[in-house]
Amino acid sequence: MNLTSSVDSKAATRLPSVSFAMRRKFFLFAMALPAVAYVIALGVFPLVKGIWYSLYEYNLLKPARTHFVGIDNYVNLLADADFRGAIANTVIFTVFSVAIELVFGFVIALALWRDDRFNRACLTLILVPVTITPLVVGLIFKGLLLADYGMVGYYLAQWGITDPRGLFATPSTALATLIFIDIWEWTPLVALILLAGLKALPGDLLEAAAVDGATAWRTFRSITLPLMLPAVMLALTLRTIDAFRVFDSVFVTTGGGPGNSTNTLMVYAVKEGLSFFNIGKASAISNIALLCVAIIAACFILMIRHFDKKANGR
Amino acid sequence: MVFDTARRGFLLLTLAFFLLPFLWLAMTAYKPSNAIFSIPPHLFFTPTLDQFRNALRIFDVGSLVISSLLIAGGSMLLSLILGVPAGYALARSTHPAAMGVAYFFMTIRMVPAVAALIPFYLLMRDIGLIGSWFSVVLINCVLNTAFVSWMMFSYFRGLPKELEEAALTDGCRQFGAFWKVSLPAVRSGIIASALFCVLFSWNDFLFAMFLTRLDSKPISVALLSAYGTKDITWGTLGALAHFSTVPIVLIVLVLNRYFVQGLTKGIN
Repeated sequence: MNLTSSVDSKAATRLPSVSFAMRRKFFLFAMALPAVAYVIALGVFPLVKGIWYSLYEYNLLKPARTHFVGIDNYVNLLADADFRGAIANTVIFTVFSVAIELVFGFVIALALWRDDRFNRACLTLILVPVTITPLVVGLIFKGLLLADYGMVGYYLAQWGITDPRGLFATPSTALATLIFIDIWEWTPLVALILLAGLKALPGDLLEAAAVDGATAWRTFRSITLPLMLPAVMLALTLRTIDAFRVFDSVFVTTGGGPGNSTNTLMVYAVKEGLSFFNIGKASAISNIALLCVAIIAACFILMIRHFDKKANGR
Repeated sequence: MVFDTARRGFLLLTLAFFLLPFLWLAMTAYKPSNAIFSIPPHLFFTPTLDQFRNALRIFDVGSLVISSLLIAGGSMLLSLILGVPAGYALARSTHPAAMGVAYFFMTIRMVPAVAALIPFYLLMRDIGLIGSWFSVVLINCVLNTAFVSWMMFSYFRGLPKELEEAALTDGCRQFGAFWKVSLPAVRSGIIASALFCVLFSWNDFLFAMFLTRLDSKPISVALLSAYGTKDITWGTLGALAHFSTVPIVLIVLVLNRYFVQGLTKGIN
């Protein structure tokens, strides 16, 4: 009786279970389809059209002169001093802001590591810059640093620390000021990611090191830092990609000037595309930026996986 | 003990560094105009609400805030409707392509806004949606849906399958298992996703600046255009910035837990 019932139930479930797997597949497919279709239709399709536009001389202000030029837009960009300047500015901006944010963020994360009420309050308040509209962040620093009546800028200029024209109006300091703004806005985010990494560290390992009499520095170098690599890589990836496509703060404060001293790739592309309606050239600039972001992302994802394997032994 | 005091001192200095610039702008809104333009600038002044009166007189703040709410709320809702089921499907599917689709979503989220904006602008022009807040919702949704899918994928993957296996008996209950068992279990992930969608859409001005017209522009675009106008002072701007900044800062402070959790879990 026992035997027959088990055979019966097997026979009863075998056929439905095959169709269940099928239905399950279909169900999951149907659940994912709307999002994938949406992102392809309104995200990927325009991006592909952007590649198409970049092969044309296409200016909205002179619609009759739309013609195919092949890779001329790209070739011209390589010879364009403004474009090379924009690349240099973007790279300098990204390297310096991300490096300083990582170091400063790590120090803050270490200070916030212990879980007490003081630290929890600090963490909440420190996140305010991350949530403020980037546009308003730009306005804040423009207002503070103006040389004529800015609360900080006035004294910096009066005491001869900065040029009397102010930090934003001097080519030699404008980019550094923008890097400073980026650091102000995003260091808290880096600190938060690294803090999460610190909190996930295996406590017993750190205790064992303390019992063995390891110094704080030695523990940090041999245990904390290697185990933190995945979190560091994550913060590095996010910030590098975001810094590379910086737009809001530059557009609001300097608009790429003075001269072209703060012209970044994104600002250059917006100016060409949506102010001068030079769609072909602007598309070529944004496609190059897109390619750079894709390469950065791919490198970092591969590295994160590598460190993950090392850390987890998988 | 000494170390602890030093640590707290460092944190207080750090807090001052991150909060004072923001407080400065907030303060500007309560200064009388002559205190804003005094040379040399000074710290003390008699607070007034004149700047708020000015801001409300010059701008139709109500309609600006409503546009912002429509854009942020609309794109959040649509992104959740599209992204949450997709995240579930990717986490539960054993198909080899599922992981690829998840990475595809993550990559889309990293696309530079400008690269998407120019072709999107032309697309919207061709279908006649330029000038409406709805077009801003549509483009925000591309990035938000990709982000929500990726983030919910991480949340659902962390959810034990056994939880819904009991409920998974036949076809019509598959959606039931998702809706009644899995969805409530990742509530915090959904709140975090919603928070990030709102944050992203509320803070954006690039899309809105080029896709909306006068009657549909959100508060961020008004701030930007106000900044370039001669007869608008820093005080008026500070007052206007209150309407754009205070709601979002308050929401994040209240939902702080989800914000932190979402940032650390969603991107891992």
